[in-house]
Amino acid sequence: MKTDPTNPVQELKEAAPPYGSPATGIGGDVDIALLRASLAMTPWERMKANDDALNFGESLREAMKKRNEQSL
Amino acid sequence: MNNLCELLRRLIAGEVEFVLVGGFAAVAHGVTLVTRDVDVCCRFSEENLMRIQHALADLHPVHRSRPDMPLQLTPEQCAGLKNLYLKTDLGVLDCLGEVLGVGGFDQVAQHVVEVEVPAGRCRVLDLDTLIIAKEAVGRDHDLVTVKHLKEIKKEQNR
Repeated sequence: MKTDPTNPVQELKEAAPPYGSPATGIGGDVDIALLRASLAMTPWERMKANDDALNFGESLREAMKKRNEQSL
Repeated sequence: MNNLCELLRRLIAGEVEFVLVGGFAAVAHGVTLVTRDVDVCCRFSEENLMRIQHALADLHPVHRSRPDMPLQLTPEQCAGLKNLYLKTDLGVLDCLGEVLGVGGFDQVAQHVVEVEVPAGRCRVLDLDTLIIAKEAVGRDHDLVTVKHLKEIKKEQNR
């Protein structure tokens, strides 16, 4: 489909294909965009990012646990 | 608070003879899946095991299967050990005498890439061998990691 320059919604739709589309690699087995962003970092930066994500995940789990305890 | 990077830095600074394997090695290669522990393949000599113990001494290391047992290795214990599964204040550290699909430390050490980290150079199991090792273990999450590692290979060959 040709992009209509007067229709920004259509333009946005085409720039962001549906989740899981092969064009993005998102939602399949591997998110290629995320992988490329990772490959742009040094190994040490990747390992630090893992620590950050791990600790963030644990703090979220902890917060969810507290919230569930309070709602009982 | 987990600090797997600091665990790794301590092993390097403590001159432990090891190769980074497992999920953290996959992360070093670029895999975006989050891993919760550090797996290393190391030489299970008394000298090397004592270096590990020394490097972790102030982190309250305990045996994961027996959290009531602090890491207090004796020469006799060192002689009988094949693996060492530890929990420390900074996170979990698994020390393996061999890697499934690859072999013992001497075989593993033949398939490494060296990466620069703040404490020095770290030997990491190379991409192809890590794929072999993860496929050999074959758990669901290992096979997902394999898919990522294979995509990284493709990206590197582009």
